[in-house]
Amino acid sequence: MPLLSLITFVPLVGAVFILALKEDQKGLIHGLALAAAGIPFLLSIFAYAGFTSSAGMQFVENLSWIPSFNIHYKMGVDGLSLPMVLLTGLLSVISVWASFGIEKRIREYFFWFLLLETGMLGVFVSLDFFLFYVFWEITLVPMYFLIGVWGGPQKEYAAIKFFLYTLAGSVFMLLGILALYFASGEPGARTFDMIELSARSPLFAGAKFWWVFLALYVGFAVKIPAFPFHTWLPLAHVEAPTAVSVILAGILLKMGVYGLLRVNAAILPDLMIKFLPVLIVIAFINIIWGAFCAMGQRDMKRMVAYSSINHMGYCLLGIAAITGSYSAAGLSGAMFQMVSHGIITGSLFLLVGVIYDRAHTRNMDEFGGLASKMPLFAGLMTIQCMASLGLPGLAGFIGEFLCFLGAFGRTQQRIWVALSVIGILVTATFFLKLLKDVFLGEFNAKWEGRLSDVSSRELGTLAPLVALTVFFGVYPRPILDTTEAAVRFLVDKTSAAPAAPAVPSPAPAAAQR
Amino acid sequence: MALTPFLPEIVLALAAMAILLGETVWPRVGRLWVIPGAAAVGAAALLAAKVPSAAGGMFVMDGMARFLKIASASGTVLTLGLSAGMKTWRPRGVSWGAYVSLILLSTLGLMLLVSSADWLMLVVSLELVSVTCFILAGFLKDDRRGSEAAIKYFLMGAFSAGLMLYGISLYYGVFGTTSLTALRTAHLAALPRLPVVGAAFFVLAGLGFKMALVPFHMWAPDVYEGAPLPVTAFISSAPKAAAFGALLRALPNLDGLGIAGVVAILSLLTMTVGNIGALRQTNIKRLLAYSSIAQMGYVLMGAVAGGDSGRGAVLIYVLFYLFMNLGAFACAAVVCDDAGTEDLGAFSGLARRSLPLALCATIFFLSLTGIPPLAGFVGKFSLFAAALEHGWAWLAVAAVINSVVSLAYYAGIVRRMFFDEAAHAGRVGLSFSLAVCAAAAVAVTLAAGLFPDRVLGWVRSSLP
Repeated sequence: MPLLSLITFVPLVGAVFILALKEDQKGLIHGLALAAAGIPFLLSIFAYAGFTSSAGMQFVENLSWIPSFNIHYKMGVDGLSLPMVLLTGLLSVISVWASFGIEKRIREYFFWFLLLETGMLGVFVSLDFFLFYVFWEITLVPMYFLIGVWGGPQKEYAAIKFFLYTLAGSVFMLLGILALYFASGEPGARTFDMIELSARSPLFAGAKFWWVFLALYVGFAVKIPAFPFHTWLPLAHVEAPTAVSVILAGILLKMGVYGLLRVNAAILPDLMIKFLPVLIVIAFINIIWGAFCAMGQRDMKRMVAYSSINHMGYCLLGIAAITGSYSAAGLSGAMFQMVSHGIITGSLFLLVGVIYDRAHTRNMDEFGGLASKMPLFAGLMTIQCMASLGLPGLAGFIGEFLCFLGAFGRTQQRIWVALSVIGILVTATFFLKLLKDVFLGEFNAKWEGRLSDVSSRELGTLAPLVALTVFFGVYPRPILDTTEAAVRFLVDKTSAAPAAPAVPSPAPAAAQR
Repeated sequence: MALTPFLPEIVLALAAMAILLGETVWPRVGRLWVIPGAAAVGAAALLAAKVPSAAGGMFVMDGMARFLKIASASGTVLTLGLSAGMKTWRPRGVSWGAYVSLILLSTLGLMLLVSSADWLMLVVSLELVSVTCFILAGFLKDDRRGSEAAIKYFLMGAFSAGLMLYGISLYYGVFGTTSLTALRTAHLAALPRLPVVGAAFFVLAGLGFKMALVPFHMWAPDVYEGAPLPVTAFISSAPKAAAFGALLRALPNLDGLGIAGVVAILSLLTMTVGNIGALRQTNIKRLLAYSSIAQMGYVLMGAVAGGDSGRGAVLIYVLFYLFMNLGAFACAAVVCDDAGTEDLGAFSGLARRSLPLALCATIFFLSLTGIPPLAGFVGKFSLFAAALEHGWAWLAVAAVINSVVSLAYYAGIVRRMFFDEAAHAGRVGLSFSLAVCAAAAVAVTLAAGLFPDRVLGWVRSSLP
């Protein structure tokens, strides 16, 4: 059974069917959208059940697609992509459900939403670079519409800024992909196969591949977003409707980190190692800049958006550990951080959406003392803020800890790692301030009677995420075990590259013990 | 030489005459003349696929000619459908028969152009295309802007034909023949350099006017805006595709002539000027005019790159360009018909009034931008690949930056359709033939984007 194709294209089929419905068949549209998002999630759980971490690429499908360029329709998952597929499936179901409150042009909304899901899933399962690029670009268009039609006051500007920024990044990526293709062998032996390219990585070691590396890096860095390509993010997040922010933060940003690992690290390991001194500084800037910007915000959504820049900085820090003695821990941490950030920040956006739906403002100054009026909301928000600031026992801590551990394992440039710790402190400050301003203190009388507690549908969307936050905080092994073999592959790949010191890499078990 | 290789041209010429005469016998057929016209063009395309190859003399029938004939014919069929479907431009007291036969004669010129193996043949067929297009541009006699466009077009066209003829005279002076093959077989190093390069430049300038390459593009926006929309659709698509075919045949090896660098700069200028010009337009025809200038800049990149991959990419792109450009024009025709204006504001709120139409238009604009999995992406992919393969990385970088710039104005229309409120409510009236045109163009744009290998293989096998 072509499991991965099914996972990828079921949402697309659902999207097309929804387009054939009538605008007033609301129940049917909702049902179909939920089914089209739910089936891939169930199938991806099925894939997880049949997955063995050590076996490398699994569920591989390989068909010739465009023989003229030796392009294949090749899909497969390994420890790097499977967690992302599961995360995409989960957050998509939750976001579709969370979107049931949308009243405006729902047929189009779910069409674009499901098309977006197909694009995201496709990015994570593609093993052919051309196919990867096609899916990568497919995600741009629906996002443009989702922000532009259903977004906030500045939606049009946010939408086009997002589209232009990310397209600018990805067209350079296209040139990088083509350059790799032409360098991959003699005419006739050239390939777009990402696994094959990775196996041929010694071909791409020379200094003349710097511009290829940078072209690919820019494509991914815009998505992550890594400094200085991050400026589209706060705007897009703030203007996007709640469920779209969840997807944007939860999955789209991860596509960038995933690409950095799958492409830059695995195909161009030599240059990746030479790039680390820069990457670690970028990680530091992301962490500090994101944290301080978040601290300055009074709009809750904007604050969470900036905290995403900060959290992606931790991911980059973990990746920058790649040549250190704890490189496996760093990479596992980056992988873990991707999942945990998806879950935690996704739920934070949902929570901010809850209050915005009721009060139509997200300004912290207008609230206060909500803990007594909305106890359930206050409880959930507190857990997720604590998780996000890295409280041990919750999922956020594991990822951050492993990232820092890995980064300290590298003997050079420890100063940047040490300075990055300040970011954690600042993160704690602004999340605690948020909790204080919104939930404690005096209740603003103008909300009297208008702020009801979390509804059952909202609780339904939030509960799984909160439960997973706690679960992975206590028991992170399901993720770490899944990623282990893929992490080991990357560590071997980069230590085999000429520039790397030959360091034995210990198991990514530091946090498990 | 046997007559069979000429069958497509013969069919077109006879059909054009028959329709012109037929109209005097049956003056009330009106719009329906489009049907025999489209049938004749379709038959010519089928014949072009089947007739035996021919070489030698003034006329050549090879794979590339076949490919471009079929491409031009499909462009013409779409244009005829578009002309019949659009309501508001319909001329009072001007005959449909004349219109259809002019289009057919122009197509005849295109078919001869892509088969020309001799400069005289090339000039004559190019003039057949040009003269018919001049008349078509001013086809609405009582429309002042149309007449102005026709005059402008005519003056510029005459000027460019003169330049080209001067180039050909230089060529004749060097080679002593007007055969195109002389340049291909000649030992360039042994020839006087200045007249050879001069000839190439003058010829390039002449063809460049037809293709609206910068700096020979000034006529295009005014003519496109002034001419009736279906005519604009025609002159912005099939003639450009055929002119590129002529360029590939006449100057197959820009690098060998030592002018690839200069043409690369022309390509860069063309795409940049086209895109920047398009950014500020508020008239849909003018916007599409600048967009088509930019598109030709990308195509020129393939000619610069040269080699089989470069020339193949040119052919692929012009074929896909025909469909996405004419598709965009078909959508514009519906919208302008409905709103009675060519202002971009006519697109506002289209998604609310007709979602399928808005989605079709979106597909065309995204394809023109080069977003996968649409035909335009495959075309650009081939062009970029050819440029990188032959060491034109800087041009490829310029082209991708231009693609991003082009998104700004294409997305500007999409924004109006989806984000803005409609100026007036009610569904959009869509005539049958416009719907068929748009649907066919969407089908090709999607199918060629998802499964391009058939076309890529076809192009590879048709390169000389």
